[in-house]
Amino acid sequence: MTGQAALTPHGATPGAAPAPRIAAPTDWRGEAMRRRIARRYAAERRFRLMGLAAVLLSAGFLAFLLVTMVGNGARGFTRTQIALPIDFQRSAILIDPALLTGGNAEQALAGANLPAVIDKAAETAFGENGARMISPAAQTAVRKAIIADPAILTGTATITVPASEGIDVAAKGQGSAANEAAVARLQQAGALSTGLNLRFLTASDGTDPTLVGIWGALKGSLLTMAVTLALSFPVGVFAALYLEEYAPRNRWTDLIEVSINNLAAVPSIIFGLLGLAIFLNLMHLPRSAPLVGGMTLALMTMPVIVIAGRNAIKAVPPSIRDAALGIGASPVQVVFHHVLPLALPGILTGTIIGMARALGETAPLLMIGMRAFVASPPHGVMDPASVLPVQIFLWSDEVGHGFIEKTSAAIIVLLAFLLTMNSIAIYLRNKFEKKW
Amino acid sequence: MADMQHIPNVKMSAQGVNVLYGEKQAIRDVSIEVDLENVTALIGPSGCGKSTFLRTLNRMNDTVSGARVEGRITLDGDDIYGADMDVVQLRARVGMVFQKPNPFPKSIYENVAYGPRIHGLAHGKADLDEIVEKSLRRAGLWDEVKDRLHESGTALSGGQQQRLCIGRAIAVEPEVILMDEPCSALDPIATARIEELILDLRGNYAIVIVTHNMQQAARVSQHTAFFHLGRLVEQGPTTEIFTNPREERTKDYITGRYG
Ligand SMILES: Nc1ncnc2c1ncn2[C@@H]1O[C@H](COP(=O)(O)OP(=O)(O)OP(=O)(O)O)[C@@H](O)[C@H]1O
Ligand SMILES: [Mg+2]
Repeated sequence: MTGQAALTPHGATPGAAPAPRIAAPTDWRGEAMRRRIARRYAAERRFRLMGLAAVLLSAGFLAFLLVTMVGNGARGFTRTQIALPIDFQRSAILIDPALLTGGNAEQALAGANLPAVIDKAAETAFGENGARMISPAAQTAVRKAIIADPAILTGTATITVPASEGIDVAAKGQGSAANEAAVARLQQAGALSTGLNLRFLTASDGTDPTLVGIWGALKGSLLTMAVTLALSFPVGVFAALYLEEYAPRNRWTDLIEVSINNLAAVPSIIFGLLGLAIFLNLMHLPRSAPLVGGMTLALMTMPVIVIAGRNAIKAVPPSIRDAALGIGASPVQVVFHHVLPLALPGILTGTIIGMARALGETAPLLMIGMRAFVASPPHGVMDPASVLPVQIFLWSDEVGHGFIEKTSAAIIVLLAFLLTMNSIAIYLRNKFEKKW
Repeated sequence: MADMQHIPNVKMSAQGVNVLYGEKQAIRDVSIEVDLENVTALIGPSGCGKSTFLRTLNRMNDTVSGARVEGRITLDGDDIYGADMDVVQLRARVGMVFQKPNPFPKSIYENVAYGPRIHGLAHGKADLDEIVEKSLRRAGLWDEVKDRLHESGTALSGGQQQRLCIGRAIAVEPEVILMDEPCSALDPIATARIEELILDLRGNYAIVIVTHNMQQAARVSQHTAFFHLGRLVEQGPTTEIFTNPREERTKDYITGRYG
């Protein structure tokens, strides 16, 4: 190889000498340089402080929100109770004790005139206004007590029953003068106590605040979100994949891109009108149903997922696609083996944002009739249902004092739902991120 | 590989190839033949179109929007841009090592196993393990990674990543291997290992290598093509090109006097 002897380093262009520099050498230790360094440090400190202040401010807002909500709402989870002595012997409930041991004790007791018995007992114990101190929910408590121990029917028993709305609110410090006086009397008699209101987590909407619960709305929200996710996630992801990986770049895809971006910014109430026009008026789907609510919210969530998905897919380096194509992976394999797994964390982030927005949405659901009074939890996506934000909206509109704390309690449930949903999504996201 | 002898020596042939990126012509009327006996080296100054031409041979330019390839390129006599050519299988048959190392963000094992798996080349786990080991050994990486096959391929050093990519490319047993500056990030020992591999593969595989290292071109190739400004200026036996180039530009370039 004689040619190798002639090899010389590149770039030695002969005859082009660089122009000589006239400027004095930089004074790296001079006063001006020191001032510049000091300014740089100050700028960095300022930047850090500003960032810290921003974080503290948002943390402060969040803490304020949580403290006020929990402070108000916690009372929605407790109830005032009254120890009510009932003389079953004198009240003459006509019931065969044998019936109470079987499986249909509830039915047997429904036939007995318990409300009248309770009212009578309350009047006997606490005077002529006694019946108004007791919540209609007392029935359930008494029924349970009898089933637990049928022997009490032959004598007198003291049963702890929930107090009425008036007494409950007064006991929590916001009642009318008459009720405050009643509470004072009850307290003196030692009949008043505070207990956990489990009914709030198991019951549905109602007219008496001591009877209402959040379960119906919670289940409605769960079903609605499930429908939204099932529709918007696959459609959004496939739309994003198609637009990024397959669609040719031309005027039509530009138009679609602009439309989707605009769709994400459309006010939610308009989606509600769209849902009303298409799903209810055109397709005749049932009103107030989680199915229709979920479909309407999916319309709203999908563009968010498409935009986030496209950005996540775009962020996958082209060299990875080249690598896969270069060893003979088909376009579908490239997408499903490489692009999608790498883009999934970003797609999930978009999904969290879209779903969180959908969960808190009220306006479009009002349009499709989800503001109806629904007193029993839905059994499926076709049953009429309420959702958490609408329930909050409805309760906040009630005049009764008892509903104020129920509203706050419902907000706590909504926030807890949101946190749970986001935690699951973040867990999934981190799981997929770790895989690589 | 015994039946390889029956295949005509010319593996790939390009005739009158033009490549355009939009309006800009990157390759102008290039004709070249690649065979099994001789390793082909593509040399030339930066930006002269070596990578572009290499990418026409496995149709990777299809993925560049606005890129257009004209002319005729054949693999075993079949037009690779023809209607009945399956581009996915073509890329498995014509493997490529890219200029920048691009391992998948998966484990070292998965990087190498991926190709054989999607083409159904392995029969069972043990078979796949064997393919992975053999490929990594040939790429000169096995000893460094055999104890951490399940760590991420992206956590390797630049030179190790490049060898991983070489291992990944040869794991699917392609018929032609295109290497775009495979040694630009490697130390002399790893470079020597790759050059050994190339000499080892020669005869069974058709190999095209782009390099900026004249000594390397002289060491590993038997056929050299000099590109300049998108044109194939001169090609011929490597010894000819290096000792007795016909063109002034070739001589200037290989002696380092290129301006
Ligand atoms: N995707 C692209 N779009 C437009 N022009 C491109 C593209 N890729 C390469 N080019 C142009 O084509 C010409 C040849 O590029 P190419 O990458 O083939 O050069 P090269 O010879 O491989 O250079 P190097 O030795 O630096 O790798 C260059 O002028 C480059 O700017
Ligand atoms: Mg190149």
